[in-house]
Amino acid sequence: MTDSLAVDAVDVTKRYGDLVAVDAITVRVAQGEVYGVLGPNGAGKTTFLRMLFGLIAPDAGSIRLFGRSWKDAGPRTLDGVAGFIESPKFYPYLSARRNLVGLSVLDGGAPAGRIDEVLEIVDLSDRADDKVGGYSFGMRQRLGVAASLLRDPRLLVLDEPGNGLDPAGMRDMRALIARLAGSGLTVLLSSHDMVEVEEICDNVTVMRAGRVAFHGGIADLRAQAPEQGHRLATSDDPRALSLSGGTRVQEHPDGGLMVHGSQAEVDRYVAAVVGAGISLRALRLTEAPLEALFFMLTEADAGPPATGPRPTAEVGA
Amino acid sequence: MSTATETLGPGAAAAGIRPLPTLLDAVGWEVRKLSAQIRARAVLLLMVIAPPLIVVIVNGQGRPPKDTLFGRYVHDSGYAMPLLILGFASQWVLPMLTAIVAGDIFAAEDHHGTWKTLLTRSASRGQVFWAKAITSIAFAIVAVVLLAASTIGSSVLIVGHQQLTGLGGQLIPSGTAAWLVGLSWATALAPMIGFTCLALLLSIWTRNPAFGIAAPVVIGLTMQLVGTLGGIEALRPLLLTTPFESWHGLLAQERFYGPLTSGLVASAVWSIGCLAAGYLIMRRRDFTGG
Repeated sequence: MTDSLAVDAVDVTKRYGDLVAVDAITVRVAQGEVYGVLGPNGAGKTTFLRMLFGLIAPDAGSIRLFGRSWKDAGPRTLDGVAGFIESPKFYPYLSARRNLVGLSVLDGGAPAGRIDEVLEIVDLSDRADDKVGGYSFGMRQRLGVAASLLRDPRLLVLDEPGNGLDPAGMRDMRALIARLAGSGLTVLLSSHDMVEVEEICDNVTVMRAGRVAFHGGIADLRAQAPEQGHRLATSDDPRALSLSGGTRVQEHPDGGLMVHGSQAEVDRYVAAVVGAGISLRALRLTEAPLEALFFMLTEADAGPPATGPRPTAEVGA
Repeated sequence: MSTATETLGPGAAAAGIRPLPTLLDAVGWEVRKLSAQIRARAVLLLMVIAPPLIVVIVNGQGRPPKDTLFGRYVHDSGYAMPLLILGFASQWVLPMLTAIVAGDIFAAEDHHGTWKTLLTRSASRGQVFWAKAITSIAFAIVAVVLLAASTIGSSVLIVGHQQLTGLGGQLIPSGTAAWLVGLSWATALAPMIGFTCLALLLSIWTRNPAFGIAAPVVIGLTMQLVGTLGGIEALRPLLLTTPFESWHGLLAQERFYGPLTSGLVASAVWSIGCLAAGYLIMRRRDFTGG
C-alpha cells in the first residue's frame, strides 16, 4: 500500500445530462508530490475533486487513493486523505474549536492536544473559541486547512485555497502550503491562478471544458509558454512599425502596437524607435508568458492535450 | 505560525489508517450541534413553561371550553386538562414541534454548505443519515415527554387529582385516570415519530429548511381535513393524523384498542417508508453543492 500512487484516477468521466463535466481524464499523483490542477471556472476541477472525495460518483473510470477505491473500501478510501472542496464550510453557531472537536469525532477521535496543534499551525489559536459565523473568509480558509490537518493526512486536497483571499492572505496560504509540502505531504491543489500553481507545484494538469489541455512538469509548461507581449504607443506608430526588423511587431486593434519577443529583443526595438526620433508615449507588459499560455490552453478549441515528460506521475486524457 | 513539520505530529507519519467512528459518535455530534442551537433549546423550554400558563389561564376562565373533548370537565378534574391539551396539540402543535428539528436537520447542511465538511471525514453516509434520524426521533420523544409531564403535573397541581369523567360518562378513579392520561399521551409518540420521519424525508429531499419545517404541518392539517370527510372509511386508518385520536378508546365506557393497533401499524408504515426513501436519497445523492 505504501508504494501506491496517492491518486490514481483513470479515464474518469462525469456527465450531467448532455453536459460532460469531466471527460475521461486520467490523473496520477505520486506520493510526496505537489500537484496542481489548473483551469478556469467551469473547467471541471471541482467536479473531479468531488469525485476523489466520493461526494459524487463518476459515470465511468476508476479512482484509487493510496490503492483504495470507494467501491472496495467505502469510507476507508479517505484514510490518509483530507482537504476541502471550494471554500471550506463550518457550523456558524459553533466556535472553531467545537467545530474541530465535532469533526474529530467523525474521524474516530483525535489525540489530546491535537486540536490546539492544528489551530496553532494555521494561526487561529487566539480566535479558537469565537463562533465561526464571525470569521472572515481568510480565517475560514485557514480553519479549513486546520480541519484537514486534524486527519493527519498523507494527501492534502485543496480546492482553490487562495480564492477570495486578499494578497496578504494569499501569501500566507501559499507559505502554509509550501511548508506542509516541505514536511513530505502529498498536495493536490486546484487553482485558476497560474502564479499560485507555478510557485507551489511540481507537476500540473491544465483542464479545459472537462478535458486535459496540458499535463506535465512546471518546467515543461514554462518551456511551452509564448513570448511575453508589450503594448507600445508612440508619436508615429506607422514609422515605428516599419522599424521592426526581426522583432515581431503588429498593430493593436485598439490602437498602438504590440511587440512580442524576449526582453532583450523588446529592449533593442524600443532603443531603435527612440533612436529614430520617434517619441515613446507608453510601454506596458500586457501578458506574462505563463499567463498567456494559460489563456492559450484554456480558451483554444479543444484538441489533443499538450504534454511534457513526467518523471513521477502521468496525466493523460 | 509554527512550522508544519513540528506540529503535524506523529500521526502524520503513520500509515493513515484511522479508527472509524461508531454510530454513537455520529449521534453524539448531532446532539452537540442540536444542543448548541437556540431554536431547539427554546422549543424544549417552551414545552415546560407553556403548559402551566395554559392551565392557569383556562382554569381561571369562568366558563370551560365545552365544545372540545374533555373541555367541560377542566374545572372538575386535573386529568381533563391534559386530555384537552393533547387533543389540541395533535392538530398541528406536535407535527410542528418535531418538524422544527427533523425538517431542518438535513436541509441545514445544504443551507450551511457543510455536507462536504461532514462527508469528507471518516463517517459513512449511512452513519450520518442514521445519526440525524436518531437525533430527530429522540428530540421528538423528549419534546412529547416534557410537554406531557409539564401538562399533567401542572394540571394536577393547579386543579387537583379528582376522579375523571370518561367519554361514556363513567367516573374513572384518580389512580386509574392518571395511568390512562399518561397512556393517552404515550399513544401520541407513534404518529409523532411518523411525522418526524416524514419531516426527515422532506428535509433531505427538498434541501430546503423552510419547506422541511412547514410542509409536515401543512400535510398534517390537510390529513385532518381529509379525515373529516365522509366516505373515506378505508382511507382514514392510513392517514398519519388518525393515530393521534387512537387514545379515545382508552377513555370509553368499554375500552377498545383497535385504533391503537391500527395507529401503531400506520405510524410504522409511514416511518419505515419515509426513512427508507430518505436513506436511498442520501446514499445515491451527488453532493454537487453544499
